[in-house]
Amino acid sequence: MERKEIEKHILRIFHDEFEIENPENDIDLREAYGFDSIDAIELLAEIEVFLGFELTLDEKKQAMEISTLGQIYDYVENLSNSRD
Amino acid sequence: MTVLAKFLRSVNDILTTLLLWTYFLFGYIIFFSPFYILNTFFSKNQERSFQALNHFFYKGFFLWARFLIPRLKIKIQDNVRTIRSSVIVCNHLSYLDPILLISIFKKQRTIVKSIFFNVPIFGNVLTISGYIPSDASGDLSSILIDSMDTMKEFIASGGNLFVFPEGTRSRDGSLGEFSKGAFRIARHCKASIKVLQIKDTNQLFQPGRFFFHTLDKIRIEVNLIGTIEPDYKSTDSSVTSLMRQVRTIFEN
Repeated sequence: MERKEIEKHILRIFHDEFEIENPENDIDLREAYGFDSIDAIELLAEIEVFLGFELTLDEKKQAMEISTLGQIYDYVENLSNSRD
Repeated sequence: MTVLAKFLRSVNDILTTLLLWTYFLFGYIIFFSPFYILNTFFSKNQERSFQALNHFFYKGFFLWARFLIPRLKIKIQDNVRTIRSSVIVCNHLSYLDPILLISIFKKQRTIVKSIFFNVPIFGNVLTISGYIPSDASGDLSSILIDSMDTMKEFIASGGNLFVFPEGTRSRDGSLGEFSKGAFRIARHCKASIKVLQIKDTNQLFQPGRFFFHTLDKIRIEVNLIGTIEPDYKSTDSSVTSLMRQVRTIFEN
């Protein structure tokens, strides 16, 4: 999957689900927008729908350490590549 | 009030508080821990069993409190007791609030401060009961993931998730800022939101005071003051909108 496609979709999730408009790539989402652990779980559910497969517990736990949008793009890209 | 009367009030407060704490400690160890242990090994549904045990333990606490404090009345609206399959949001006045709600709902989950999950035994009870750590990093992340993975099913099967969206007790009765966790979960599970108002638990056990207030007439109430049945397909069900609707219910 193309990186640009991932970025576009993640930004749409942030807009639609979290009411966050165009966050910067390297800003700490928790500090800037109060993006907390429960938000992260919701985001993971959206990522599962986007990718079309369920994530393992380890993959989900890995996501809980993520703090920036850039890291989310990397994470989704890695997941996508891992299943190709 | 004379010095003697004040002294006698204090003595009564101290003795009653000790008796209540005795229930917490010895009631738990002597009467309830065998059931928790049995359920750990033999229950087919540990979470449900632990929630039921928590419910009966705290129900026992309030029965004991009403016995020791004759002027204490606790009035739970009938339509509160029948709430099922909902995310319940409630104002927060005292440390008694969460245990009061556990004593009302047999099948309950709630969000608990993360630090409590690290307390030996108590942390295990919280985990097995399916309660959610307020913030999840490190080892707690798997507890949060597990609990959230089963939340839809839990609520659909009649369970209630109750949350104090202010996160902390109100010292003056005013409504604080809301955290969005409860509303995010309600959206995630497409659940009804019930708005409860607790009154006067802070009269019985005041924030910043160690002893229960035992001699004055106290009437604790839990009332259902609003229900929101969001249409989760519409834009009106955003987390911000849900928070605004609940705040309006509280303020009216």
